[in-house]
Amino acid sequence: MTLDGQVPSGSIGDKWDRHKFEMKLVNPANKRKFTVIVVGTGLAGASAAASLGELGYQVLNFCIQDSPRRAHSIAAQGGINAAKNYQNDGDSIYRLFYDTVKGGDYRSREANVYRLAQLSVNIIDQCVAQGVPFAREYGGLLDNRSFGGAQVSRTFYARGQTGQQLLLGAYQSLMRQVHQRTVRLFTRREMLDLVLVDGKTRGIVCRNLMTGAIERHAADAVILATGGYGTLYYLSTNAVNSNVTASWRAHKRGALFANPCFTQIHPTCIPVTGEHQSKLTLMSESLRNDGRVWVPKKQGDKRPPEQIPEDERDYYLERKYPSFGNLVPRDVASRNAKQVCDDGRGVGDSGLAVYLDFRDAIQRLGVGTIEEKYGNLFHMYKKITDEDAYRVPMRIYPAIHYTMGGLWVDYNLMSNVPGLHVLGEANFSDHGANRLGASALMQGLADGYFVIPYTIGHYLAGAMLPKVTMDHDAFKESSDRVQRHINRLLSVKGARGVREIHRELGRIMWDHVGMSRSEQSLRRALSEIPKLRDEFWHNVSVPGSPDNLNQSLEYAGRVADYLEFAELLTLDALERRESCGGHFREESQTPDGEALRDDANYTYVAAWEFTGVGSAPIVHKEPLNFEEVHPTQRSYK
Amino acid sequence: MSSRTGVFSSSVGTKIVIGLTGMALVLYLVVHIAGNALVFFGPTVFNQYSHLLLSNPLVPLIEIGLVIIFALHLYKTVRMFIANQQARPVAYVRKKYAGAPSRKTVASSTMIVSGLWLLMFVVIHVTQFKYGAEYEVDGVRDLYRLEMENFANPLLVGFYVVSMLVVGSHLWHGIASAFQSIGADHPRWTPRLLAASKILAVAIAAGFVVIAVWAYVHQAGRVRP
Amino acid sequence: MRLHLKIWRQAGPDAAGRLVDYVADRISPDMSFLEMLDVVNEALIRNGEDAIAFDSDCREGICGMCSLVVNGVPHGPDRGTTVCQLHMRRFKDGDTITVEPWRAKAFPVMKDLVVDRSAFDRIIAAGGYISVNVGGAPDGNAIPVPKEIADVAMDSAACIGCGACVAACKNASAHLFMSAKISQLALLPQGRAERYRRVLSMIDQADAEGFGSCSNEGECEAVCPKEIPISNIARMTREYVKALWAAGR
Repeated sequence: MTLDGQVPSGSIGDKWDRHKFEMKLVNPANKRKFTVIVVGTGLAGASAAASLGELGYQVLNFCIQDSPRRAHSIAAQGGINAAKNYQNDGDSIYRLFYDTVKGGDYRSREANVYRLAQLSVNIIDQCVAQGVPFAREYGGLLDNRSFGGAQVSRTFYARGQTGQQLLLGAYQSLMRQVHQRTVRLFTRREMLDLVLVDGKTRGIVCRNLMTGAIERHAADAVILATGGYGTLYYLSTNAVNSNVTASWRAHKRGALFANPCFTQIHPTCIPVTGEHQSKLTLMSESLRNDGRVWVPKKQGDKRPPEQIPEDERDYYLERKYPSFGNLVPRDVASRNAKQVCDDGRGVGDSGLAVYLDFRDAIQRLGVGTIEEKYGNLFHMYKKITDEDAYRVPMRIYPAIHYTMGGLWVDYNLMSNVPGLHVLGEANFSDHGANRLGASALMQGLADGYFVIPYTIGHYLAGAMLPKVTMDHDAFKESSDRVQRHINRLLSVKGARGVREIHRELGRIMWDHVGMSRSEQSLRRALSEIPKLRDEFWHNVSVPGSPDNLNQSLEYAGRVADYLEFAELLTLDALERRESCGGHFREESQTPDGEALRDDANYTYVAAWEFTGVGSAPIVHKEPLNFEEVHPTQRSYK
Repeated sequence: MSSRTGVFSSSVGTKIVIGLTGMALVLYLVVHIAGNALVFFGPTVFNQYSHLLLSNPLVPLIEIGLVIIFALHLYKTVRMFIANQQARPVAYVRKKYAGAPSRKTVASSTMIVSGLWLLMFVVIHVTQFKYGAEYEVDGVRDLYRLEMENFANPLLVGFYVVSMLVVGSHLWHGIASAFQSIGADHPRWTPRLLAASKILAVAIAAGFVVIAVWAYVHQAGRVRP
Repeated sequence: MRLHLKIWRQAGPDAAGRLVDYVADRISPDMSFLEMLDVVNEALIRNGEDAIAFDSDCREGICGMCSLVVNGVPHGPDRGTTVCQLHMRRFKDGDTITVEPWRAKAFPVMKDLVVDRSAFDRIIAAGGYISVNVGGAPDGNAIPVPKEIADVAMDSAACIGCGACVAACKNASAHLFMSAKISQLALLPQGRAERYRRVLSMIDQADAEGFGSCSNEGECEAVCPKEIPISNIARMTREYVKALWAAGR
């Protein structure tokens, strides 16, 4: 199989415009003859379903929650980037493109990123028109802030709830289409299989989570917008129901999974308090502007922080990176926190935390200023930990936050399986090995509002799609497969809960395929994962019946998929013997311990083909060409 | 845009009607108590005032209006109460006051009870006064005497006092609520309006209680039935 | 900590439900309320018993999925907090805690503590949006919005659609939920064009769903995790009156 990214020819600035012109169109009157399934209702899914409904396609939209508005895009806090240059500070489409390619550590597809930067401008306009209450200046114009180390102010925001407001904008547009009957909504449905007929995607099989019914839905194309796989690590900043199942089942039907090892770890999260913890809460990165990160110099120092004298504290970021200090990028900050904790110098009961201390900032600026800047964050911290960060240092620890890898797609956002399109965090294309702050929202909406409406038409107009009914053998085969899988989960009747096994899987992944990865740790994970998978299938307990709401069963299906997917992610990490972005290989570092990319050997997308559970997948490589932004090594010393 | 239910029967329309009729009834009560207060000035003044009122040709019209407003208020609230009960067919096993800034009080939770009590009260009240004994003095109806005679009965005074406390309770929530019901809300004025509404509720209830008790005390020993 | 729980169990939408007693043992004060339930469920699952069904997703107070009435108060005793952010340190060792689902005709119980809130979606579908198709939007700065207005609109837009307002209201009214969206869109110039149509159709839909009316008690505001005030309801009423006025014209 050769992977063709379908990148249009021409200069980077003209590619999308020319492509839009060259793509085939579906006549307005014919659009309603096509049915498109959209799985997921986050920023990408809701925006895609709404836009396709507006165009006149028959859209079937699925989500696992009780309402489309619950999708985890809602939790994004910071903001959304757009190259509006409203601040007159030198921003441009090219600069946003440049920053994003560089931020992705040169592992993304240039043409996709350029298009993303181009469309960023339209997103803001669209959202404002929908009534998204973006922050405003006193003059009534849109306000911006700078974010994620960018040198320009290009981030639009709605307090600390930007994701919520953008999602509600998309959700409302979606509900308008539901009202107009162009979109049919299927909530509390979980996609469990992709159905192919004659090599083309023609539908899905899903489980009605309320009744347990296995449902078949036929269509002319399927769009997956099902988010990332951060919950593989059990603890993450993701919602507890986020999962890889839809992507993984599509992968098992032939869709290639690209760069699964590119996971992003956010440095400032509230640390784990105990075994019971179900998720981690993010604290805005902006805290590092005034907080100083430290741990005791002595191992196992259990004194309360205020009793540790100044000369026994190690401000390790300031010591190692004098020019960037506490403001090093996410990956560097995270990795160093892990190192000091591994070294036995972590703080708190678990020893898995570092201090983020505001003492000096409070002395310098006064409590009032700190409260003004970070009051809501200190309040949130207090609510969760019952500690007053004005008096004692915060305890923070890195957590899995976002996954850059995903199903492989071409420039049209179509996977290698004809008719299967993948949008948002579920695809791999725009963020390379590392995602910059405020760019996930941008990508989800660009894909849904402004890319897929064109490219899906191109596919539908050019494909031969004879009518397929839901009693076609392929549907029957698929629903039988799903039914068998469910029966199998229920029939183990072992002694261990799914959560317990998921927690164990998460620990394996975090310890061996987490912030810092080595040949040895990865091999160890590769030996432990199949054992745990075996344990799952022999000893899991899934009570209840298949024919009603059974959350244990839903969860078991998702963890079963993670137990397969974990192996692929680890293998991908093993094969990528370089450090780049969120993927740090201990064997590939500079003499002073920093990440070292290997452009000569790894400037490619690793897209994996499924060959069976426990059987070695086949890697297909899409070479990446950097014609505009030339790769350089990052340094923060 | 047509509504399934008619604009004044929707959940918001209903509130507006209840709020407006409630406000009209409160206005009536204010006039009523002001008139009643003339009883302190003795029979002549009181009877003259009531004569002036009764001989005004507009009064029967106003009375009809009042009856309609009262009936509308009653009809809308009872209907709303029934619909609201249907909106939660299975009750909570345990339900608690949610705390500030909730304005929930015993008064607000018992509006239907206080309202129906007042319906009963109004029927008795009108029977006793409007359709009570037709005494005459100096060519006008001697309502002063009627009032004094009625309030000589301690049981009746007790019933009136209780009913006026019920009025107070109804208005304690009702007046403030009426403003919210018609959409009158302002960041600075609403808190003051809430306070003023409660003062008015207490004043109206207290005023009627004082008149009834005063009449009883005043007449004690003179007009025993 | 050791806690006595009385949890509503109901096998399905048409089944009768009842409170069932459970003991939650070795509960850490650092756990969230939902993590405490996870622990109870893990023990049930180990014994092969059906776990207690309850909704949750983001567990950081923004998705609006979690929906428990704790000791008679939706989302429990803390103000401005969803039940997923309620921590067990709020309770004392030996406490008895009653947990019930949202109760409203329009929110039928599906199982145990899980209810169906699709009525909210239908209310939004009836008009809780600005009718703009993708593509034709003018520049974001073409219409200035005064900061004060944008801020009030944002206060209203903060609604997470959890339904606690309905759960707390003695009339199971959806007025706070509806009015938050109506307010947001009526305040912003973009939403003005269809404000009258919007308020009439959304109220109409809420009534058809079987939500009750409003008695102005404000229990909804007290339990709202985003502390959305009932001044939104007053604004909705004004919008309604204006809409009637405009229709009569």
